Amino acid sequence: MEGAYKPGPLGRSLGWATALYLVLPLFIILPVSMTDQRFLSLPHEGLSLRHYAGLFASSEWFASIAQSFWIACASTILAVTTGTLFAIAAWRLSSRATELLRALMLLPLIVPSIVYAIGLYRYFGWWDLLDRFMGVVIAHGVTGIPYVVITVSTALASFDPRLEQAARGMGASLRQVLAWVILPRIMPGIVSGAIFAFIHSWDELVIVLFIASRDVFTLPRRIWDGINENQDPIMAAVAMLLILFTTVLLVVDMAVRRKRDG
Amino acid sequence: MSVALELRGLAKSYGNFVAVEGADLAVEGGSFLTLLGPSGSGKTTILMMIAGFTEPTAGRLLLDGRDITALPPEKRAFGMVFQGYALFPHMTVAENIAFPLRVRGLGRAEREGKVRAALDLVQLMGFAERLPKQLSGGQQQRVALARALVFDPALLLLDEPLSALDKKLRAELQEELRALHRRVGRTFVNVTHDQEEALSLSDEVAILNHGRIIQKGAPAALYEHPRTRFVADFLGKSNFLRGVVREVGPEHIAVQCGPLRLRHFGAARLGEEVLLSLRPEKIALAQEGDNVLEGRVLSSAYLGAGHAVVLETPIGPIRVHQPAWRAAVEPAVGEALRMAWAADAATIVEDDDAA
Repeated sequence: MEGAYKPGPLGRSLGWATALYLVLPLFIILPVSMTDQRFLSLPHEGLSLRHYAGLFASSEWFASIAQSFWIACASTILAVTTGTLFAIAAWRLSSRATELLRALMLLPLIVPSIVYAIGLYRYFGWWDLLDRFMGVVIAHGVTGIPYVVITVSTALASFDPRLEQAARGMGASLRQVLAWVILPRIMPGIVSGAIFAFIHSWDELVIVLFIASRDVFTLPRRIWDGINENQDPIMAAVAMLLILFTTVLLVVDMAVRRKRDG
Repeated sequence: MSVALELRGLAKSYGNFVAVEGADLAVEGGSFLTLLGPSGSGKTTILMMIAGFTEPTAGRLLLDGRDITALPPEKRAFGMVFQGYALFPHMTVAENIAFPLRVRGLGRAEREGKVRAALDLVQLMGFAERLPKQLSGGQQQRVALARALVFDPALLLLDEPLSALDKKLRAELQEELRALHRRVGRTFVNVTHDQEEALSLSDEVAILNHGRIIQKGAPAALYEHPRTRFVADFLGKSNFLRGVVREVGPEHIAVQCGPLRLRHFGAARLGEEVLLSLRPEKIALAQEGDNVLEGRVLSSAYLGAGHAVVLETPIGPIRVHQPAWRAAVEPAVGEALRMAWAADAATIVEDDDAA
């Protein structure tokens, strides 16, 4: 930014320290994933890719990756549809009631997920949704809604209401205005929300621990069990792949935002 | 010409605040009407009621004799050019112009033909594939015009269409807008606070203040014969002389204004107190005429085409506009000058400017 204060030495070192602190765990995971030992450890004599090979040879790990992926996709669709519709409705109606509802929609971000998980466990028991694909999709979809509501509401806040007037004035019906004017304008917000909802489901563990056991065994769940039971370095290899995948998603998100702002 | 649009007692209030007080207005088919007024005068509210975006609290709106008061804006479908244009930023120029056609379910071939004709109408051939943000203000304005006209609306509404442009470009586009109006032969209703724009563009001007239509008429009629002090003051500049009618003749009256007895061409009752509006350009410096007044130059500004002079006189300060070219005198501050005007130069106006 032109004309802004330059950072001093204190601010500069504080910034670097924070950045380092954030990425340091990643730098530990990388060598651990390439250890030549058979348990979680730093490499002793040399680097090896055998745990990556082991990961690709393991049908169990693959099944979990596939399951997590499909659960994340389905719950993203659920979160994006409901979250977007809600955000548009709240924006259009904009009353005290919708503000209250908006706060309710953000509840999953505020309530600790373990509290949520205990509650869900009760209900899902009654409805026979425990250890079901559908149950996890619903749980992840609902807890993913706040991300979509936030990003879509932000996009709507900068939507010029005269565009809607202009479209109406030219004879467009509500459906046409939505499809041709409002949705394309807020699409970057929807995509951002979808990416966050996907990541949320992709690495969610606490709820899964409560509502799934054998049939549904997501990737974070398998990593968790792996650490508890056998210290298998494959976990580090999986973690590296997860980091890579998440980074790709975030880069996509950044590209979408740049396109919107540019 | 027949009446295309008619407002009958159209009113809008928000709680206790009256934005528009029962407006009556008839717009002739194919004419260019401008609603002119200062900000907060209710002109935009009237336009929004015509477009259908604002619901009137009372009154009716008729299009070709048909009551459209209850119709939603998408059913009225008047062309509209918004302040700031409201072009769709995610669509190209061609897609923007095609929007009202797409809404009506026209086929691709027909759409493309009409879009090309509209681009041609506003001289923007070759810009079809650009995005609005890649265009200058004037070009965006033309796209907005093309988009508003492409579906042959019964009425074109313009909300301060030129206010965002600089002075020179504004003059150019005024010219174009007038030519466009002649070419398409549609009824245009324009809203502005710019009196020059109103005078140069319109067949008729309606002047608004505090939510009321004060006077409506052709630009020249309004300028030459303002009905009230507000109209005279808002449409150009004016000197106001207050006096009492002392003599009533067959054609002229004599108005006693301070120590001065003015000859005025007009009618009034004997003993009546009147307010005269006298345009600064109708006063001549250093010349003789029906009415003569001595004064001392208080200030003089050179404006290129003319001098704007203010003189201190026995009846208060008087503004005079004098063409600079071949002027009888070069006004200098402190100089004593004689000024004169003809008996038919001034107009009697109603004093409504309490505020």
